Amino acid sequence: MSTQSPVEHELAELIVSSLNLEHTSAAAIAPEAPLFGGGLGLDSIDALELALAISKRYGFALRSDNPDNKRIFSSLRELSAHIEKARVA
Amino acid sequence: MSAHWSERREGGGWFAVWLIRGIGLHLGRRVARALLYPITLYFYFRRGPERRASRAYLTRAFGRPARMRDVLRHIHCYAATILDRVFLLARGTRDFAIDVHGLEQLEARIAQGRGVILLGAHVGSFEALRVLAEARPELRVRMLMDRGQTPAMTQLLHALNPAVAAMVIDAGGDGNDVVLAIREATAQGALVGLLGDRARSGEATRAVDFFGAPAEFPSAPHLIAAILELPVVLAFGLYRGGNRYAVHFEDFSAGAAIARNERNARLGELTQRYAARLEYYTRLDPYNWFNFYDFWQLHADPGGTVRDGAAA
Repeated sequence: MSTQSPVEHELAELIVSSLNLEHTSAAAIAPEAPLFGGGLGLDSIDALELALAISKRYGFALRSDNPDNKRIFSSLRELSAHIEKARVA
Repeated sequence: MSAHWSERREGGGWFAVWLIRGIGLHLGRRVARALLYPITLYFYFRRGPERRASRAYLTRAFGRPARMRDVLRHIHCYAATILDRVFLLARGTRDFAIDVHGLEQLEARIAQGRGVILLGAHVGSFEALRVLAEARPELRVRMLMDRGQTPAMTQLLHALNPAVAAMVIDAGGDGNDVVLAIREATAQGALVGLLGDRARSGEATRAVDFFGAPAEFPSAPHLIAAILELPVVLAFGLYRGGNRYAVHFEDFSAGAAIARNERNARLGELTQRYAARLEYYTRLDPYNWFNFYDFWQLHADPGGTVRDGAAA
């Protein structure tokens, strides 16, 4: 099982705090496990709240028309990689 | 009767494409309307579940056993609004007499400049709300529509009015994309039209009182509005016979955020209040209710919708 990188951990903490996941600790989110549906069981309402929190924290917006959204939302690792790429760009 | 609404094939799709577009636009509304009678009979005899759902609903709404003529009138009203969609999309509202109520309430919310959710239902014709687009052409209205669920209607829309079709947000798309699209549209000050009476399979619902019995309504429209802090204005376009429609706007909620620990209670209140207002407007003309399935099927679909009692 792979471990969280520092930026992934920061994002995991944002997920836990913005979605108020009382029974999940940030460190327990496996980087490659599915965020939505299975695993953490987040739904699209969570995605909306998470998108707002990401805008606030990282200053950029996840877009509805990004063809890669399925992959971007698939795991902590993918989401974090997307955020890092978007911040640099 | 317990099938989820999405499992029923699209009612009216078959005639929407060949009859309405061809005959409707070439021979005009008067001729096409004459054909609504045989279509109504066909639908009555061929679509048993819809016929039974109509009778059960009308019996509930009228408080007396519904008769065959009531059911026929119900189906006819539905068919007439589908036909009128063609004219509303292709020619605008000029063929129609549309009474508009409560526009000032909508205007006040638009003036706040932060986007508005227009919350309708499967009653009457949401297309009659195009009267708004003509009165205020600068407004951007984006409608949520499930392209996969209504292929014939979607095809019709694209054929008749590509500009309107381009403004559709596909509700059948990935859920995350849908909510992000609502956010983007309203952030630009657009009005986003949603229908608040049907939950998609797997979506959270609340059981609230509706026509005297509990029925499940989705809580998502109210939750999305709260998260994005968007005001909600109710919007119903009722068909009143002939070429007459009555469009009703009603201010519903101010767009206040809801703290997490109050969500459960507040969503329950909002969903109940929406159902109460929907019942009020539906009772103005009960034949406008276009959910032709067992709407009050409480807990009949354990694998489908989920209650969101733990949403807080």
